[in-house]
Formats: sequence, structure tokens, C-alpha cells
Amino acid sequence: MSGRVIVVTSGKGGVGKTTASANIGVALASLGASVGLVDMDIGLRNLDILMGLENRVVYNLVDVVEEKCKLRQALVKDKRLPNLSLLPAAQTRDKSAVNVEQMEKLCKELKELFDFVIVDSPAGIEGGFQNAVAGADEAIVITTPEMSAVRDADRVIGLLEARKEDIGQYRLVINRIRPAMVKSNDMMSVEDVLEILSVKLLGVVPEDDEIIISTNKGEPIAGTENARAGQAYRNIARRIRGEEVPFIDLDSLNTTWLSKIVKIFNPVRV
Amino acid sequence: MQVLNWFFRSKDETVATRAKDRMRLMLIHDRLELPPDRLASLEEELIAVVSRYFEIDRLTTRFDLKQYERRAALIANFPLLRSKS
Repeated sequence: MSGRVIVVTSGKGGVGKTTASANIGVALASLGASVGLVDMDIGLRNLDILMGLENRVVYNLVDVVEEKCKLRQALVKDKRLPNLSLLPAAQTRDKSAVNVEQMEKLCKELKELFDFVIVDSPAGIEGGFQNAVAGADEAIVITTPEMSAVRDADRVIGLLEARKEDIGQYRLVINRIRPAMVKSNDMMSVEDVLEILSVKLLGVVPEDDEIIISTNKGEPIAGTENARAGQAYRNIARRIRGEEVPFIDLDSLNTTWLSKIVKIFNPVRV
Repeated sequence: MQVLNWFFRSKDETVATRAKDRMRLMLIHDRLELPPDRLASLEEELIAVVSRYFEIDRLTTRFDLKQYERRAALIANFPLLRSKS
């Protein structure tokens, strides 16, 4: 088997990289693909919490690289999806614990085990980022419609473009879009961000309180049928698999009394 | 005050368009690694060169950086009044 290694990155911290990684992993696995989630944020481990797997972590990525354990021993199986596994980051080490060559080797091994290897990159564009993109075939750049996040995304896109021969394609996910604010012209729209960055769109995820609830439960929202952010992530997963899925209709997400009534007859197309 | 702002605000400018314009200019500078004063000094030099050959209309001279995909282009527009002998 030779899977696809996809790195999830953003430049800026706090835009939802880890949440996106967890949800894309869950959504791809729900579609039947085998998925390996890799937490590359060494020293600041979080992906295990979002997955609700923090109590099952025994070994970690650095242990594998240092050959203290076998790769299979470090992989933590998901609670609900047997075809989804997590390779946790080390919590007590730092970014320098792994180098680019080790990461490339690890990604090659993971590709043999999974259809999709989703690598959650740390924030920043330094060593940790360089390690995270080392073995990647593709990239997903996450941003929010805020100026600082878009600027950092642009920087990351520039760095990905410079690695064109390794990273075949990169696509953008715009996270935490607030349809009402876009409509009142107080927030940049999806089109604005795409025009500024000149990049292909992979998905749009609306701001959703359910994300916080799902994090607290340790159950990624992609597994929740009715949540709109969950639907957005399921669409992203289908697009990653090569399906043509129409993009989120932001107008239909506005929760005015009128649109609520409309929704009853005309369910949200996300 | 809010009402006054709303009343006097130009029709096209919204918070979103302002963010977009600022963003675009900022990213052009970022991508070119262009220091802020660089463009102004280039403009000055170009005007000096063109002025050796033509009288130009300084009031309508335009000097802009435009974005095309992920590349930038320098668009200079010097309205010419007459040639210099």
C-alpha cells in the first residue's frame, strides 16, 4: 500500500490546525479509508485530547524515531473507528528531538500502513514546520478570515511553493467563517481571501459552538451528523478523495427566523 | 455618532473591503520583501528620468503595485504634456 501523506499547516497558531487534523482524519476514516493521524507538535501535544485518546497513549513519535519501540506499538487505535490510528507527539521533548531525515523515513513507513497519513504541523515556520512538511506529498493550509492569519498563511504558501517538487499540491481551508459578519461586510469573505492568496479552495468551515463542545467530549465533530462544522469536514474529506462536492452556501447558514423556516423545508447544503 | 459615521461613510468602503485592500498591499510588500520606503524612492527616480524627456503632469501621475495571481506588477502612468527639446 502506498498512501498519501498530507500535512496540515497554517503558520499562525490558534486558527484550528489540530481541530482540522482530527476532523479530517475522522471524516476520511468514516468514508472507509484507513487513516494515520500524526501529531508533530512535539512538546505541545494536543491531538490526543481532541480525539479523546489521552489516556491510551503509551509510546510516542519520538520513541519510534529513537527506536525505543516499534511503530505499531506507538499507534493508538481510535475508540469508534477501527481504521483510524493516532501517532502521538512526545510531551516532554522539544522540536529538535526529530530531524528531517527521520521524519521522511517515518512517513514512508506510515504510507505503507495507511491510505491517508494526516500530519498535524506545529505553528510557526521554523524547525517544527520543516520537519512536519518533510515527508509530505500534499498540504492543507488552514486560515481564518482575519488579517494576521491570512498573512501567515501567505508566508506558508510561499514556503510550500518553494518545495513544489516534493509537495504536489496545496489547498486552503477557511475556518471559522461567520456568515452574518460577511453579509454585513464586517469580515472578509471566502472570495476575498481566495483572491488575495490566489490558491485553490478545499473547504470552508463555519464558526460553530459545537466545536468547543466536541473538544470537551473528546469526540471530533465530523462524527456528529447535524453539526454544520461536521458537515463541512465531511465535505472536505470527500474532496480529498477526489469527489466533486459543491461548496457551503453561507446564506443558508444565517439563523434569522426566515432562514430557520426555510431550513425546515430546505436542509442546509454544506 | 454611529449614525453620523454611517451617514458620511463612502458607499463602497466597508470594513471588509478595507481589510482586503490593506491585506493586498501588505502581501505584495511581504512577497517581494520590499521595504516601505523603497517604492517611494523608485518613484522619485523614475519621475526624474522621464522628466528629462517630457514635461509630465505630476498631479495625475500614478504609481501602483498590482497583484496578478501570486505575482506583483509595477504599473506606472505618467501623463505626458509635451516633449522637452
